[in-house]
Amino acid sequence: MPVVEVHQLAQCITCHAWSPDRAMIAICPNNAEVHIYKCTSEKWERVHVLYKHDQIVSGIDWSSRSNKIVTASHDRNSYVWNQEGSEWVPTLVILRLNRAALCVQWSPKENKFAVGSGAKTVCICYYEPENNWWVSKLIRKRHDSSVTSVAWHPDNIFVATTSTDGKCRVFSTYIKGVDSKDLGTSSSRDVKFGEQIVQLDLSSSWAFGVRWSPSGNTLVYAGHNSMIYFVEDICNSPLAQNIAYRNLPLRDVGFDCNPIMFTKDETGLWSFARLLEERRTQSHTKYGSQLSEAFGKLYGQSRHTTNNDTADSLRPRGLTHENTINCIVPLKKSSETIIQRFSTSGLDGKVVIWELDDFAIAA
Amino acid sequence: MANTLRLYLTCIRNTLEAVMCLQNFPCQEVERHNKPEVELMTSPELLLNPVLICRNEAEKCLIETSINSIRISMKVKQADELENILAKKFLRFLSMRAEAFQVLRRKPVQGYDISFLITNYHCEDMHRNKLIDFIVQFMEDIDKEIVELKLSVNTRGRLVATEFLKQFI
Repeated sequence: MPVVEVHQLAQCITCHAWSPDRAMIAICPNNAEVHIYKCTSEKWERVHVLYKHDQIVSGIDWSSRSNKIVTASHDRNSYVWNQEGSEWVPTLVILRLNRAALCVQWSPKENKFAVGSGAKTVCICYYEPENNWWVSKLIRKRHDSSVTSVAWHPDNIFVATTSTDGKCRVFSTYIKGVDSKDLGTSSSRDVKFGEQIVQLDLSSSWAFGVRWSPSGNTLVYAGHNSMIYFVEDICNSPLAQNIAYRNLPLRDVGFDCNPIMFTKDETGLWSFARLLEERRTQSHTKYGSQLSEAFGKLYGQSRHTTNNDTADSLRPRGLTHENTINCIVPLKKSSETIIQRFSTSGLDGKVVIWELDDFAIAA
Repeated sequence: MANTLRLYLTCIRNTLEAVMCLQNFPCQEVERHNKPEVELMTSPELLLNPVLICRNEAEKCLIETSINSIRISMKVKQADELENILAKKFLRFLSMRAEAFQVLRRKPVQGYDISFLITNYHCEDMHRNKLIDFIVQFMEDIDKEIVELKLSVNTRGRLVATEFLKQFI
């Protein structure tokens, strides 16, 4: 797991997102601003500052096709930023929330996005062209606590959420007029908006960081009790696999379809999940060509020690991250079929790009 | 350092390392607020089980954890009345200057002598292991400090008494 690039962009980064061509990165430097950096000849330059929120920005997502940025903030608002010329023009999204927005993600088709909030609700927002604004529909009364993470199923209908009540839920977000009938599987078409498909009560502690595999067959999330949960075959007969780590709590999780799971403990040691071998053989047959599309990883909390070992080499090295890692994004170029890189940002203000080397994939 | 004290401090250090995994978390009860959940205690699901570490009856440490803050309260050894007065005065002196310490709580939790409140903002600004070092060092030093104060009070008392009694010789 070699580190490819390390960029110190701010003192503290709460979240980051990459532009579709990976030339620009949007970060939140732990305040109400969003900074966009552009890479020009090996140097990162700040090209834009998006300043519209008045409290800390908790989530950023950059849509890969339509080149729009959506931001969510603790001030209960969300903005969709559109690039017009050299300027980014914000459009306010009326979320109808009365508590902080905590996380945001574009749907795969980019006609909707989901916002998780401290109001124990999830907002599904879609664009209404006749009024020229984003409308939000709320999924209420299902969560018993704040929604910490949202993830879209590749079919553009299902959305998975994790909450601090320790549960992971899957909802249908079928909206008439936005989602066409021929979308998704037959099962997802019949379900009304906001209907709960499944509720997973595996974690005894707060749940964070949920992801789907690119095929949509597997859901994975992490708990504050340092456990990671895999759930297969959500719609029909959910089958769960849990992995416990002995290290510090996990803050977020990614997913790799060719399931190389990495965890980083407080000494900076990358280790493979125990189920790796078994899961790998499974998914090779299952996902076949999609092998590489998925991508993910999970990370432990803060590490401050001076050693960083990789699983393959176990070689001590200067530690890359010096504080909690709280955001992780897979990097995929459209021309590439295999995702080999991902980036992490943390409270130490660094953005680190990691590369999965062949050894790691083969291991 | 006595052996039992080392064990006590190691236990506290390990517990602190495990619990100091804090994140920014806005208030669920009040709009646009962000408060330490461990102080509010309004959402039971955001609190973890408190840990009580005791060396003996007189010396104990309570660590309460929530999603965005932890509270560490400790009781300092007070063997006799003099130590009691010294500890009270000394810790009061520190508590009055809580701003300078950042992580010190202005008032100790009931039943304890001094309390610390660490939030996610402290973890963002400061190194996590340095914070833990500070707390453990503080606990290590506080006993020493009080013993030294006691010694100097006694020495001074003896000196004053000797001087006073000289006139009767």
